[in-house]
Amino acid sequence: MSTDLDLFLANVSLISLLAIIGISLYGILARPNIIKKIIALTIFTDAANLLAILVGFRRPPSAPPVLLNLQPSPSEIAEFSSTAVDPLPQALVLTAVVIGMAVNMLIIFIALQLYRLYGTLDVRKVRRLRG
Amino acid sequence: MFDFITIGLTPPLMIAMAFVLPIFTLFIRRKGFYDVYALIATTLALILTAYNYYLVLYVVKQPIVYPFGGWPPPIGIVYEVDALSAYFGLFTAAIMLMIAIYSIWYLKGTSGYEWYYTMLLGLEAGMIGCAYTGDAFNLFVMLEVLSVAAYGLVVFYRMSHEAVEAGMKYSLIGAVATTVYFIALVFIYGSFGTLNMADIAYKSRGGITFPYSGMIVGNIHLASAVALALSMWAFTFKSAVVPNHFWLPDAHPAAPTPVSAALSGLVVKVGIYAIIRFLYTIYGLDSVQPISNVVSTVMKLLIVLGALSALIASALMIVQSDIKRLIAYSTIMHVGFIVISLSLGTKLGIEAALYHTVNHAVGKALLFMSAGVLIKVAGSRDIDEMSGVGRYLRLTTLTLTLAVLSLEGLPPLAGFFSKLLLYEAFIDSGLALLAMVLIISSAFALLAYIKLLYGVYFKLPTKEFTNVREEWTYLIPLLALAASLVLLGISAPMFVEKVLAYISDELFNPLKYVRAADSIIKVLGG
Repeated sequence: MSTDLDLFLANVSLISLLAIIGISLYGILARPNIIKKIIALTIFTDAANLLAILVGFRRPPSAPPVLLNLQPSPSEIAEFSSTAVDPLPQALVLTAVVIGMAVNMLIIFIALQLYRLYGTLDVRKVRRLRG
Repeated sequence: MFDFITIGLTPPLMIAMAFVLPIFTLFIRRKGFYDVYALIATTLALILTAYNYYLVLYVVKQPIVYPFGGWPPPIGIVYEVDALSAYFGLFTAAIMLMIAIYSIWYLKGTSGYEWYYTMLLGLEAGMIGCAYTGDAFNLFVMLEVLSVAAYGLVVFYRMSHEAVEAGMKYSLIGAVATTVYFIALVFIYGSFGTLNMADIAYKSRGGITFPYSGMIVGNIHLASAVALALSMWAFTFKSAVVPNHFWLPDAHPAAPTPVSAALSGLVVKVGIYAIIRFLYTIYGLDSVQPISNVVSTVMKLLIVLGALSALIASALMIVQSDIKRLIAYSTIMHVGFIVISLSLGTKLGIEAALYHTVNHAVGKALLFMSAGVLIKVAGSRDIDEMSGVGRYLRLTTLTLTLAVLSLEGLPPLAGFFSKLLLYEAFIDSGLALLAMVLIISSAFALLAYIKLLYGVYFKLPTKEFTNVREEWTYLIPLLALAASLVLLGISAPMFVEKVLAYISDELFNPLKYVRAADSIIKVLGG
């Protein structure tokens, strides 16, 4: 693949990610239904995670950062450094996904309890507090 | 390295103690067990954080780095405790112990105490973890630990309409805020190639390479601007600075009273801590050229937002009739003062901010907890319906009055000295308008406080109150906090000169923070 195409694809993915972030923020702030807000929230966290993955992306040929020899020769080290992918963003995303799941579960339970108490999930009708 | 085991031990131990607690619910039902468990855990936290404070300020006299698993800093996650972290950890643990004692009384006859204590200990673990961590991503993790516990505690009364509604608001936007901070971290990692605070601090000040860490991989100037903007949004949400304050007056009153004390006194201070860490240690006015411009712009913006917080919240305080909402608005006002003061960029400003932070934490916890006793006896949170209840509970009203007077700033209580220091810092920075803000909002707040005291004590009771015997279980934490307000006030000159001056010196010398991380690499065989 040519580097021009690479740059173009990177830009496309970056711009679409930003668009997704914008749309999901709109969903969180403007949609009246709480379930739709929660869906928008999960899209938002996923977009953030994808952004992190994009930072760790390496153009193929890429390989997992594993050295099979305990005493690698210089050529093996050279190959390793030219193909190894940065594992840290994936570790970050893994952590963030697990945390996000816990938070999402909690928010969904709050939404369920809200529905039990108010009989609706429309935020325009859930207005006991003066704000 | 292993001499400093207490540094690395404190937050993980607290997390373990919190998450082990649900296992006991399988075979123990008695409330007494959970009370004692929470007391032991919070006492342990206080001992450990006090020891860490002693170590950092008096024995080692420089930041202590604890590398987890023996991995050197930029590779592994480290805890790096400098004087600021130790200070925040210590007062958090001390007030949480008081809150745990108070909870024993407050939870009498309430079901679900085992889950309450789980979340309370989780909250404490998250707060101490936030203060101790030396890794920007670990700060995100600890922020989430703290937030999940806080959301859970706000909706603790799950059959109460307003608690669930406030919890929904808080948790939904709170999850967005922490994710925004995560995006900021992605920008930092994408440009600096590291998430270690000392490493970022070094590189943002023109350092080229840190041992074990790669070169700067991207455009750090642009990325730092984006990261600072995003993370400041997240932290001002956590600390309820004005455009992001909307959740606080709903969420704090809806929670159980000891939790309101923890949220108002301590959790908003985690946001303050993170702002200080980002604006003074990680980045700073001494960063390389474009970044330092961004930092000073952010500081100017924070001064404006802080002033708006103070004015808006103090004006809204007057019209509240719900006692807990009134106190919650007062929190926004005080956070406004603290944010203005820390954004001045002067040593005096930082000292005033830190001193006011601890005075506000003690005073606000005391105010919430005293009000909680009166609310429980009166059976209502409305000031009109609580009229005269203070006449039956003399000692509680005394501590309530002390808390109010300290927050308002009456000598010789602690609040007077921190407001004096704030005033000095505002005048010293050449922005006399800010001093006006301080005085005007204090005057507004005085009206609200007079309304509170008048309603609770001086008005004649309209109805008979039953069950008005005062109990030692809640008087112990109340009197201890009141005594510490007086003590903090009396020891003000010494406290500012010895402790706060030391902390601000260290903050204005961020290379000390970097060097501590650097030296641990040499110990570990770099």
